[in-house]
Amino acid sequence: MDVQRAPRSVDHSLWRTRLGLAADRLRENWAAFVRARVGVIGLAVIIFYALLAAAHPVLMSTVWDESIYDPVVGYSFDETRQPAPPSLRHPLGTDPLGRDILSQLMFSARSEFMLGLLAAVVTVCIGTMVGAAAAYFGGIVDTILMRLADIMIMMPGISVLIVLSALIGVEHLELGLIIGVLSGFGGTGVVLKSQALSVVVKPYIQAARVAGGGPLHIILVHVVPNLLPLSFLYMMFTVTSAIFSEAVLSFLGLLDIRMSWGLMIHTTESAGYLTQVTEAWWLIFPASLSITLLCSSFYLVGRSLDEVVNPRLRRA
Amino acid sequence: MSERSGDAEALGGGRSPGPVLAVEGLTMHYSTRAGVVRAVDGVSFSVGKGQALGLVGESGCGKSSLALTLLKLLPENAQILSGRILLDGMDIVPLPEERMREYRWSRIAMVFQAAMNSLNPVYRVGEQIIEALEVHVESAREESLRRVRELYDLVNLDPSLIMRYPHEYSGGMKQRAVIAMALACEPDVVIADEPTTALDVIVQDHILREMKNVRAELGMSMIYVSHDMAVIAEVSDMVGVMYAGRLVELGSTVDVFRDPIHPYTRALTSAFPSVTGEKHELTVLPGEPPNMIDPPSGCRFHPRCPYATDPCRSETPPIVRRGGHWAACWNPTGEGA
Amino acid sequence: MVGYLLNRTFQILLTLFVFMSIVFFIVNAQPGDVSNVYALNPDLPPETRERLRDLFGVNEPLWKQYLVHVRNTLTGNFGVSFSNYPRSVADIVMERLPRTLALFMTATVLSFYLGFALGKIIAWRRGGWTEYTSTIGGVTLYTVFTPWFGLMMIWLLGFKAGWLPIGKFLDPELWRDAPTDANAVFGMMIATAVAASVIVFAVFALTKKRRGSGAALIRIGSLAGSLLVAVGIWLVAGTGYLAWDIIRHMVLPVVTLTLISFAGTMLLTRSSMLETMREDYVVAARAKGLPEKDVRDRHVARNALLPVVTSFMFSLAFAVDGGVIIESIFSWPGMGQTLVSAAVAEDLPLAVGAFVFVGSFILLAHLAADVLYVYLDPRIRY
Repeated sequence: MDVQRAPRSVDHSLWRTRLGLAADRLRENWAAFVRARVGVIGLAVIIFYALLAAAHPVLMSTVWDESIYDPVVGYSFDETRQPAPPSLRHPLGTDPLGRDILSQLMFSARSEFMLGLLAAVVTVCIGTMVGAAAAYFGGIVDTILMRLADIMIMMPGISVLIVLSALIGVEHLELGLIIGVLSGFGGTGVVLKSQALSVVVKPYIQAARVAGGGPLHIILVHVVPNLLPLSFLYMMFTVTSAIFSEAVLSFLGLLDIRMSWGLMIHTTESAGYLTQVTEAWWLIFPASLSITLLCSSFYLVGRSLDEVVNPRLRRA
Repeated sequence: MSERSGDAEALGGGRSPGPVLAVEGLTMHYSTRAGVVRAVDGVSFSVGKGQALGLVGESGCGKSSLALTLLKLLPENAQILSGRILLDGMDIVPLPEERMREYRWSRIAMVFQAAMNSLNPVYRVGEQIIEALEVHVESAREESLRRVRELYDLVNLDPSLIMRYPHEYSGGMKQRAVIAMALACEPDVVIADEPTTALDVIVQDHILREMKNVRAELGMSMIYVSHDMAVIAEVSDMVGVMYAGRLVELGSTVDVFRDPIHPYTRALTSAFPSVTGEKHELTVLPGEPPNMIDPPSGCRFHPRCPYATDPCRSETPPIVRRGGHWAACWNPTGEGA
Repeated sequence: MVGYLLNRTFQILLTLFVFMSIVFFIVNAQPGDVSNVYALNPDLPPETRERLRDLFGVNEPLWKQYLVHVRNTLTGNFGVSFSNYPRSVADIVMERLPRTLALFMTATVLSFYLGFALGKIIAWRRGGWTEYTSTIGGVTLYTVFTPWFGLMMIWLLGFKAGWLPIGKFLDPELWRDAPTDANAVFGMMIATAVAASVIVFAVFALTKKRRGSGAALIRIGSLAGSLLVAVGIWLVAGTGYLAWDIIRHMVLPVVTLTLISFAGTMLLTRSSMLETMREDYVVAARAKGLPEKDVRDRHVARNALLPVVTSFMFSLAFAVDGGVIIESIFSWPGMGQTLVSAAVAEDLPLAVGAFVFVGSFILLAHLAADVLYVYLDPRIRY
């Protein structure tokens, strides 16, 4: 599109040229992404929850009294009985322990994002390195990494986490790491390897080899940047599975964490309100719907990105 | 386009009572996000019984789109805007999809561009031929099998291959099987879209000769579509030259090759060496076929034409006749010029 | 073909071996050792503690412990459950495995079939209303918070409508005077299902070459016939009412599990169909004048099935996870619920045993899917 940009001074770093090209591509891809429509809905939901998460500390330091609204140790003295239905003071009511549901919901949103980000970053770091190394070196390295990937893919993630939580205390950090490792060495690594295979046969890789570039240099400078768009896509799916696993495990009461959406439902269950769907709806729906919405939003964004990145799925 | 529609019949239908297939002013567009692609623009020609017409042109000039249009096998974003496709005098353009199905393969069959890929990898090749037979010819399975054996004989394939899968065939064998499949229902017209492009020269030669023999034996009409002048010269009686969605020259093979009128035809015929003819300089045509979304005005070839003059840039070129053929050009080349 | 399957079997056995090793090292990576849970009790005299450590075998060198672990795993000896003392882990697993198999296999077959059939249809109508609803609906079901979804199913179909029984896998009242126990009935039910599917499958394979209404009649006939014979046998045996009770209890978890897992297959079938639709042999099939339905089913869908089956193998782990959650929500006493309750009770031998079984089960399912793949793709079958 922008033909005039071609002659650039050579001392411009490779990365700047790449960023320029990436920005062009981004503009084009954004248009395709918007056309896919469902991805935009997902993005809107994600932004909504991000705003909720960001607003929590602000509200806590301004309008919300810490002794009442603290998501873990607060108690609402104004209500005659707990759990209290939604009111002006507590827009989503209180839980069986007298804590404000909205505050819990907003507080948890932040840790869900942190967890998702951690798992996604670990996945991408491992996945790109595994994919690039398997494609670049081939042979025995490839065989070992791909057999390992087979095993990781066959691991039932939730079951592994359930067993691990019985053995060691699992918190957000461990959870993010385990999910990242499972996905990075497993499915994401395999997908990125197939992408990397089409990169390592490019002439510029041969040129870099002839020019005496070391394997690490070539992988980091030439192969990995080409894997980034695809790995970004798989980050979205990792976030989905991280949030989902956290919710399930804390619902089962197997995680050592202070507050999360899953734990909110666990509290509801332990207090015996889980089957009172109409009578105590505010104990069940806000947290459950938040988990579902955020998970499916990340998934939808991932899928829409897939339709943008994968030319075979593009519309004529 | 209207000025040309009469000529086609006059020229193409000369040898036999009435053309088997006549195309009149056919225009087909794809609507894409980037704009309307004028893939086929006012094309007219006709093919008599037992005749072979070759359509030639660079890739991207609308040959394959034209071939698919003749079967009305178009993607959803394509539309036939005007023109008629007369099969034995009957226009098939307005036919609904259900009626059209009956015509496909039984009247017009096709040998596809990538023969290798036009066989479904999960079914035995014989079954895929029988499938075509079952839709159009009411017959018992044994009957169909016998017919497949006949067809394999006709294209020189070992009948023991019938119940094998496509991946067990070589490239040339697949090509023969695809030809056998096209002949299955004894169609009036067979369209062969780049039938031998993916094959090596020796196999290519064998298959072309066989196709020629089969045509003589069965008396069907053929339309060869190719970018390769040599192939067209070898197998067809008539040649149509396509450029940017339009037919720019049409006539008997001998005439067109001996005395091309249109500069584009001249460029194409001199872009490959002649083994039998006199020595001449090989020229390579500069540039690329135009963007079909926004084609050049006037004569579409003018940006690449060495003889282009002012009228070429603004006005549709007139028809020039010479001997047994015509071309659409302002500045015809060759003997008469 | 035989070579391919042998190769895959070898790979899967290797995977199983690595899997067992991982389990061993995870267990041994703890500070101290397993016996600590019990042996660190300060009330125990030191001699008793030493005896316990001997009993647990933790005084042996690590490599010897590892060998013992491998031998025990291979022989199905996972020791004694802490929370169900003195029952052995193998005993508990053997009792619960069939229940999980019944639940999981029914739901898997249903969800695969449903997902494929729906994906086929929505791919054919690209764009517009159908596409958006099915994508959003599918993704929502795929990523829905499973415990909540299960709960809503129980509440809607169980409590509100009262159509289906809730929780457990049988009605204790009904079974008090039953002539036989639940596990025997379960075994019989699985045997019946397997026999019926083998017969139906054979009939379908035999009529593959035939087309038209005759073949369809034979197929439907065989389906109905085997169903009738099965029902007849159960009625004659007099335990039919017990089987019916179990089936009634199965409906809710099976429907839930099917709903959460079919969407993945559906969405994948759709993309796979969209890719296959551009193949030349599809245009060729149209050119041959085949009816749209034949083009869709025989040419596009048949080839689109291959990547779907491959990815289905990968999603087996996902389905097993879903099963684990569903079992705990519906109090279905299978492997999943066993795994969760063992983890909550910190019953290590049972948790590890259940986990190894879940893992082996996935590996076996992979092998089964491999065989299916070989059957479906002639390019491998030579």
